[in-house]
Amino acid sequence: MSQATHSTSVTSTPAPSAARRRKRILSALEGYLYLAPTLIGLALFVYIPIFTSFRLSLNRIAPFGNRMRFVGFENYVNLLTDSDYWNSVRITLLFVLGTVPTGIFLAVVLAILLSYPVAHLKSLHRTLIFVPVIISSAVAGVLFRWLFHPVVGYLNFWMVQAGFFDSMKDAPNWLASKNWALLAVIIATTWRQLGFNVIIALAGVQNIDETFYDASKVDGAGTLQRLRHITLPLLSPTLFFLLIINVIYSFQAFGEIHVLTEGGPGRATTTLVYSIFYDAFVGTPQRGIASAQAYILAVMVVVMSYINFAVVNRRVHYQ
Amino acid sequence: MTITTERSASTRRRFQYGDLIVHILLLSLGILIALPIFIGFFTSFKQPTQVMTFPPQLIPRDWTLANYRVALEVTPFGRYLLNSTIQSGIIMIGQVLFSVLAAYAFALLDFPGRNLLFYLVLGSLMIPFELVFIPNFQLVSSLNWGDTYAGLTVPFLASAFGVFMLRQFFLTVPKEYRDSSKIDGAGNWRYLWQILVPLSKGAIGAFAIFAFLSAWNQYLWPLIITNSVKMRTLQIGIRFFMTQLDRGSDWGAVMAGSMIAIVPALIVFLLAQKQLVRGIAMSGLKG
Repeated sequence: MSQATHSTSVTSTPAPSAARRRKRILSALEGYLYLAPTLIGLALFVYIPIFTSFRLSLNRIAPFGNRMRFVGFENYVNLLTDSDYWNSVRITLLFVLGTVPTGIFLAVVLAILLSYPVAHLKSLHRTLIFVPVIISSAVAGVLFRWLFHPVVGYLNFWMVQAGFFDSMKDAPNWLASKNWALLAVIIATTWRQLGFNVIIALAGVQNIDETFYDASKVDGAGTLQRLRHITLPLLSPTLFFLLIINVIYSFQAFGEIHVLTEGGPGRATTTLVYSIFYDAFVGTPQRGIASAQAYILAVMVVVMSYINFAVVNRRVHYQ
Repeated sequence: MTITTERSASTRRRFQYGDLIVHILLLSLGILIALPIFIGFFTSFKQPTQVMTFPPQLIPRDWTLANYRVALEVTPFGRYLLNSTIQSGIIMIGQVLFSVLAAYAFALLDFPGRNLLFYLVLGSLMIPFELVFIPNFQLVSSLNWGDTYAGLTVPFLASAFGVFMLRQFFLTVPKEYRDSSKIDGAGNWRYLWQILVPLSKGAIGAFAIFAFLSAWNQYLWPLIITNSVKMRTLQIGIRFFMTQLDRGSDWGAVMAGSMIAIVPALIVFLLAQKQLVRGIAMSGLKG
């Protein structure tokens, strides 16, 4: 990734004259000027807030106004002994388990189908299958809220017609039921993520060298054998990437939950991120507690990102 | 001779048979995946009396624009559309401009600390938005930028992903271009804008589309930073519209609002699918 950087950066020069040194300073200055807008933006809105956030998490903050009282790690201790917090952890894990494996499985199946060399309609197939990628979480929430409608919703209607339930009355009242609301949110989120996942999976499938398939044909391998012994093993880096990135995305899912259930009914769909939002901005804001939750979440996300980064990097270097 | 032609004909026939199965599978799966959008589309053109009928009917009996009229008159969806366009436009222009500059510096200029700064920029990709959004909210509020376009856009003008993606591309541009433009006496600034940027139109376009759509679909930040109805973006407006109308169940109008929010993104998608897919596949590489 950074070979080019290393090769050009260090060139030892014999003691430069004053004019040359000035030229070097000027050209270095030019470099910093090009970087300035990006670095200032990231400093103000990413790097500095990392520290501000930590400071907030160590304080109890009055709901209105900026009165802060230092309480050390009290917010963290309170969280870890709070059953509501552990409930959000549980909900988040269930949410991840519900969205990630299904999403990756569907994406891989679709990608393998899409990579099949058909002569016509290729772009129609792709457009229909990729299209959720342009849908926002808010619109996905709204569309599915309509599908989940308990009285005239298509989903229940079709399930009744397919024989899963005897009548609309027996079918689930998705968003108002503690048992079904999380599944409803999982369905909507999996749907919206599918576009992204298929695009990545298809890129992975198309990266596989054709010669492997040709060789296997010579050996007389069938379609399923090829799938099992060539496609899936060679796709494993992509699968690993999809796994990590989907876990990260699911940890951070917010829009669908806010539109569909607002964390309810009860706390049935209150994930960690929803809980942060709720504590920071709804009712009487408790930004200290919210920041502590954000910090714990961030540490988990950063660890996962780092693992991903390290593994992807190693893969690139080995090739 | 005859045997071989027979065999090739039979494999060709079998191949087409496989083609047909793949077509049927892909089309039915594709329609199933796009179905929520189709349903929203058809619902938005139904007469209000047909929206809530049971059993639900997919296709409108007689098509009407009444729902769009409600969406545009009861709720200022026109204003939301304008706000989203301004917000996404500013973010896209800022990200492209700043990223081109920074990517150029990282790819082609030499200065102390370059690698360290590059890793610092890359590292910011790992930071989840949830960690920084409370401090950012406080900062933007203390600047009195709450409920303004500045508040909506300024926190997103720098893009680490853009810097990374464009730097990767700039590194692939042959060095000869730069050498010959140096001989012609062009400095960095001129080389960047007159040679490198035109050469990189594809990559920059892919990133611009990606940046626009990401901004267009933002939810959490516009939700907390906008207060007044007139500053809401489409994504926020559609949600408030839905919660308001939920009791009255005017789902036709809600779907009309959703379609207004989808159409610009859909046009970008249909016109520039290749670039968008390229941008997304690159974002997959960012790690």
